[in-house]
Amino acid sequence: MTYRATHITTYTYSEPVSICHNEVHLRPRSGYRQTLIDSSITVLPDPGHLFSRTDYFGNETTFFSIHEPHSRLIISADSLVEVRPATVLDPEATPAWEDVRAEVRAHRGGAALEAFQFVFPSQYVKAGPEFATFAGPSFPAGRPILGGLLDLSHRIYTQFRYDPRATTVATPVDEVLHARHGVCQDFAHVMIGALRSIGLPARYVSGYLRSNPNLVGAEESHAWVSAYCPGHGWLDIDPTNDLLPSEAHITLAWGRDYGDVTPVRGVALGGGEQLISVRVRVAPEKASVATD
Amino acid sequence: MQGPNEKGSCVAQGWDYSPNAGYYDELATAQGTTRLHWRALMEALKASGPEDLASRWKEAQRLIRDNGVTYNVYGDPHGTDRPWPLDPVPMVIDPQEWAGIETAVAQRASLLNSILCDLYGPQRLLTEGLLPPELVYANPGFLRSCHGIRVPGDIRLHLYAADLARSPDGQWWVLSDRTQSPSGAGYALENRLVSTRTLPDLFRKTYVRRLANFFLSYRETLMSLAPGHRENPRIVLLTPGPYNETYFEHAFLARYLGYTLVEGGDLTVRDRRVYLKTLGGLLPVDMILRRQDDGFCDPLELRGDSMLGVPGLVEAVRAGTVAVANALGSGAIETAALSPFLPGLSRQILGEELKMPSVANWWCGQEKPLEYVKQNLARLVVKQAFPGTAQEPIFGGRISAAERDELIARIRATPYQFVAQEQVALSTVPVWTEEGLHSRHMVMRVYAVPSGGGYKVMPGGLTRVSSSLDTMVVSVQRGGGSKDTWVLGRGQEKEFSLLKPSSQTLEVSRATFDLPSRVADNLFWLGRYMERVDSTVRLARSALPLLSQETDAGSATGLQAAVGILTALHFVRDAAEAGGPAVVNADLVSMIFDSDRRYSIGRIVHEARRLAWLLRDRISPDAWRILNRLDNDFCTRRPAEPFHLLGATNLLDQSIITLAAFSGLVMDGMTRGQGWRFLDIGRRIERASQLLDVLRHGLGNQVNDESGRLAKLLEIADSSITYRSRYLTTMQSDLVIDLLLCDEANPRSVAFQFARLSEHIAQLPDSGSLSRRSAESRLILSLLSSVQLADMDKLMEADGRGEWAGLLSLMDRLAADIRELSSVLSSSYFSHAIPSQQLRHF
Repeated sequence: MTYRATHITTYTYSEPVSICHNEVHLRPRSGYRQTLIDSSITVLPDPGHLFSRTDYFGNETTFFSIHEPHSRLIISADSLVEVRPATVLDPEATPAWEDVRAEVRAHRGGAALEAFQFVFPSQYVKAGPEFATFAGPSFPAGRPILGGLLDLSHRIYTQFRYDPRATTVATPVDEVLHARHGVCQDFAHVMIGALRSIGLPARYVSGYLRSNPNLVGAEESHAWVSAYCPGHGWLDIDPTNDLLPSEAHITLAWGRDYGDVTPVRGVALGGGEQLISVRVRVAPEKASVATD
Repeated sequence: MQGPNEKGSCVAQGWDYSPNAGYYDELATAQGTTRLHWRALMEALKASGPEDLASRWKEAQRLIRDNGVTYNVYGDPHGTDRPWPLDPVPMVIDPQEWAGIETAVAQRASLLNSILCDLYGPQRLLTEGLLPPELVYANPGFLRSCHGIRVPGDIRLHLYAADLARSPDGQWWVLSDRTQSPSGAGYALENRLVSTRTLPDLFRKTYVRRLANFFLSYRETLMSLAPGHRENPRIVLLTPGPYNETYFEHAFLARYLGYTLVEGGDLTVRDRRVYLKTLGGLLPVDMILRRQDDGFCDPLELRGDSMLGVPGLVEAVRAGTVAVANALGSGAIETAALSPFLPGLSRQILGEELKMPSVANWWCGQEKPLEYVKQNLARLVVKQAFPGTAQEPIFGGRISAAERDELIARIRATPYQFVAQEQVALSTVPVWTEEGLHSRHMVMRVYAVPSGGGYKVMPGGLTRVSSSLDTMVVSVQRGGGSKDTWVLGRGQEKEFSLLKPSSQTLEVSRATFDLPSRVADNLFWLGRYMERVDSTVRLARSALPLLSQETDAGSATGLQAAVGILTALHFVRDAAEAGGPAVVNADLVSMIFDSDRRYSIGRIVHEARRLAWLLRDRISPDAWRILNRLDNDFCTRRPAEPFHLLGATNLLDQSIITLAAFSGLVMDGMTRGQGWRFLDIGRRIERASQLLDVLRHGLGNQVNDESGRLAKLLEIADSSITYRSRYLTTMQSDLVIDLLLCDEANPRSVAFQFARLSEHIAQLPDSGSLSRRSAESRLILSLLSSVQLADMDKLMEADGRGEWAGLLSLMDRLAADIRELSSVLSSSYFSHAIPSQQLRHF
């Protein structure tokens, strides 16, 4: 399935900003269930130059600065992405979760070493012992890892209330675990914390969801979890919707947590009060619908 | 306590020294004899006697205080500006022993630099299993955004420091490594400057090795590693600011190395290049010597919760337009957890054995060390393995069995976050007190800089001593002290210093255009406050006869004028409203002696000193000494009541002289650059507005020719002699007012200040053109012409109510315009204070 995703972030300031520096993760990755066909990032006022690079986790990062006074900043990203369905796995065919832990801990070989870094605490996911307690029931001894992941995701889906007003990006993850409410980002962080607390590598995936009234998190940027499973690579799982992402999920970037892949961040000189609005639209591209 | 008394013994009258057995003592052998390399020093000290050392030492401490050698103690409201604690007896090291230390430290610096280059590059140490990946992956000091950034010359450690300790068997060990922005090299240098002035003959006789060469290498290295290879790269020293613990050192090193001292707000990034914001515009910066921790250097890509740094800096470094020393991310290896792996890494990377061992560390992330730690917890110190966690070290021997179990459980949960260190019985060294020599534990910090493909070690260092023999904690923050470190050489070295001779005082800027706007702002206010001190002192002095019981009728009107001015400026309360002249007298005494009072001279002096403190890198040691002395003078307690008048007279007379010395230094010693200009603009503006206050509140509204009053105004305005030499006549109000208001030849007149301001403003970078005048040039033009065109006869006419209506309204207008001028200048030149903020994200 080919999608056109448009992601527009608008900042409106009460006082002019004289300089701002920004770093964005807005270009979808290629190679992981998907291929990026085309993409463009447009900024108003025009910064003159956008500098792109590949970050530590292999995501494309774009840097730009604006040196003219402005009261509004608009960042639009427009991407054409082909998404392939995920392979359907039999949970019983995946290795026991303790074996995954042991293999990553021994980290022989590139993939396991690479996965190992996603076991440790990170800026937004500093999980205490209560996370291990929370993870416990989903991971009884010997359970295949995918079975555990599905169960954990289901428990988050059923036990946590989706409430955009309950948390902000600054709400600590243990508070989310305690209060059991939040948004996709919080649920992803809780699940990552739970997995890491029992020694399983987990990463944070930032992306989009095909616009669909039945799914939570469409029309805005979305986030889910990816867990390492030797022999099968990384398995995506979306605790906000309790499903395994497939053709409806478009991956932008991944990292240890939100902090590594924040879609838009910036530092502005001046500005006074700021208002932010984010609009995401993901629709199947007509041409590709016809050929599908 | 008596020891053997033959030659070489360390016992002499007043020099008894009996170190505690059980530790290695730097000075005395176990048999009680003085070690060979200490003998020259000890004999010389003995020969001159303790009284002589005491007096030299008093002098040294005055030097430390006057030079403002300070450190700040965090979390202590009175912690800013503690005098730096230096012990007069240096730590002495034998040349041969030093040669061993030198090669070992140079080797370790090279090794650590290679490790950093690998971790921020190919990471072979991880893929080949030479280093446990936890040390990188779980380490918040490893900055992923800095991975892959190339650095000039593959140098990431531009300055390395190691804390060395000596165990009872005489062996040196590395206690810890400092790789991020090691502090103390500047204090080591300052210690040296003080000790050479305290013990000059001795210093020459014993062939102590010099430090200047080391700093020269440091400067050459930084210059050669600046990207772009410009002939004269602009290097700045980035400080978190005056409240940082070692700010003195930042200012001192900036001055010594000849770099501009900047704070994050002085730098800006444009088109992936770093610029210094100066009065003259933006100037490109090639290298940043940072004294700020990694995480605080860029709020965009590093720690977002701090606004201390320079947004966009990492991207500029990535673009290769600027280099940061030490390289961003070098804090990753500032951990004791690395040290167990160094012997192996040294063999692998350098093909050499590690020359100096680290104090035994057990990183709990591996099975065997973890087991050892559990078994031996009682004799270990447990620390957090990674920087950024503010946990205090835990001494396993000092906690209960239950606490030990709890600690073991915590270690088990995340073993990779803990490291346990063997407690070292640190060696001892004598420190001098008035009562004689005492032994204290010591740690020696040594420094290395890249040079010729390897590292060069400073022949000396910063020796720190514990506050008592009972503690092994050696920290100036915790009340310990410091020593100069004398590495003995084998002959005389050429004398040479990077410091310019101190006769070149108040050098405000190497290149005047390098002046950061923030500094211009502070200089402007320093000028204003110094002038305010001057005029307030004169004003208070003019009112002093109030305190004596005898005043004649003639001087009464003069005193009335002085009190009128003091009342209008809130220094004293109105006698009529507050209940009689006694209140006025009490207030006058209080404004002179009570520096905690809001309206007092001491308060203004404090403010001036605070501004000078912010400008320590810009102000010559002499000028700083003057301000310190002035501040001290106004902090002393008031004398007993019968001596109020005498004490106040002495204090005020003395301060007038001190202030004259300060302005003399400024006028004679300061380069006529933009810095001087802003300082002088501040002075002129303040003097003009003070004069206007004096005239406005001292003349009284009614037209009068009271000679006592007029004489007093001349006295306050320091123009009595000018008046007498010019007019040789009795007091006449029109002549007095003309002299103080309109006479451009009188340096104490309002007109003179306006004329100087007009010259200054014409020289400012944004003074505008003839066709388009800037706001400040319009204002000063109008001010100057108002006094030039003033018609004295008309001004002096009495109106219907017998008042000087014209004069008073002119002075009111001038006072308002001069206030406006001050604020216009601020907004044109100092408007750098707009705060940065993070964009909210979603």
